[in-house]
Amino acid sequence: MSSFTEKFYQDFIEDDRWKFILNGLKITLIVTAFALIIGVAIGVVVGIIRCAHDQQSGKELTGIKKTALNILNALCHIYLTVIRGTPALVQLLIMYFVILVSAKSKVMVAVLTFGINSGAYVAEIIRGGIMSIDRGQMEAGRSLGLSYVQTMTKIILPQAFKASLPALVNELITLLKETSICGYIGLNELTRGGDIIRGTTFDALLPLLGVAVVYLAIVHLISYMFSFVERRLRKSDRH
Amino acid sequence: MIGIRDLKKNFGDNEILRGISYDIEKGEKIAVIGPSGSGKSTFLRCINLLETPTSGQIFFKGEEITSPDVDVNRIRSHMGMVFQHFNLFNNLTIMDNITLAPVTLKLQTAEEAKENALSLLERVNLTDKADAYPSQLSGGQKQRIAIVRSLAMNPEVMLFDEPTSALDPEMVGEVLEVIRELAESGMTLVIVTHEMGFAREVANKVLFVDEGIIKEENDPLSFFNDPKDDRLKEFLSKVL
Repeated sequence: MSSFTEKFYQDFIEDDRWKFILNGLKITLIVTAFALIIGVAIGVVVGIIRCAHDQQSGKELTGIKKTALNILNALCHIYLTVIRGTPALVQLLIMYFVILVSAKSKVMVAVLTFGINSGAYVAEIIRGGIMSIDRGQMEAGRSLGLSYVQTMTKIILPQAFKASLPALVNELITLLKETSICGYIGLNELTRGGDIIRGTTFDALLPLLGVAVVYLAIVHLISYMFSFVERRLRKSDRH
Repeated sequence: MIGIRDLKKNFGDNEILRGISYDIEKGEKIAVIGPSGSGKSTFLRCINLLETPTSGQIFFKGEEITSPDVDVNRIRSHMGMVFQHFNLFNNLTIMDNITLAPVTLKLQTAEEAKENALSLLERVNLTDKADAYPSQLSGGQKQRIAIVRSLAMNPEVMLFDEPTSALDPEMVGEVLEVIRELAESGMTLVIVTHEMGFAREVANKVLFVDEGIIKEENDPLSFFNDPKDDRLKEFLSKVL
């Protein structure tokens, strides 16, 4: 037992080594939060473009608008293929060593990489959500004289968002854990924090276990919070 | 009020409507009957352009609405439509279902729309459901709300696409009652239906649509008692 206490002291208390964990967690949360914002923004736009293209093609759109939508859809398609077809780690390395090679902030590189990466997955989640809404909802809106955009924003998207929420929370959790690869570009996030302690004290078990527990706690907190949100959103489903 | 000229609609290689011409006058009540797959729903959905006709023209109050530069949203705001599956907005309360379109399109202020909605709800005896969500209503109640939602736009014509086909038998009556009252108030109606008794009673013209064309049209009395077309005779012998 005394050896455990000793190791615990060595790993976390001595020289304030717990700060590696705490500061790492801060970086992890910052990267996750901003990447999430970028990801949702990209995802909603791309998801809607893809749906609009599928629903509108051959219908009322003509001329320049139709061409614009076709081009946008093609761009979205390329984006989705590239991002979903390559590992996030490779994207991170390319971003850091090639595209943003002169960037001063590693946090920014990570935020951009994960934002762009997550956007592709969010886009497909949103698209799935929109497609899960009965066609009659759009038809009813349009039959009343509402435009495509009005029906989309007032009727379809609120329902699609609700339907997508479990998958979006899942994406958020995945995103949070995936930021652990930022150590590859020397960003001192949570996982690397634990790893630095391991490298200093030569004890692997406690630092890594500590890191794992922190991830678990955060993920648990996220699912707990969103279960409340889901319950609130479900109020229109009660019978 | 509505003029239809040689309306055709294909889905891929499948010819659904093969040339329909018909004129609907203000205040008329048109019942459209026919076997399933005959194109009667497609015909109705072409009138408010939920389906884009492959060829042919449709006129609404003298304006060609099939012309490419017409504002379909403006046209649709004058035509109410009631669907087989109600299609109430699931994310909105009954009140918001009714007021959404008039308020969003700035035809009424929020207060006016609400007042209007309450008096419409009174007409169908559903005032107590104003704050409920669609999932809390029965099928018959949902369809009555769907009718009210369309009426809130003060349409000049109401299109009904098999409004009672998805209802439990005991709820058909309450919905037909609302449509009957609407007909008596002078509203122009086009109703695709399988309720022959209702068509006979309420309509002033009955159309038999089969194989994508109007095979017979007549006043209800002659239509049901003295059918000319062989397919219609066969159809009536099966359903009556």
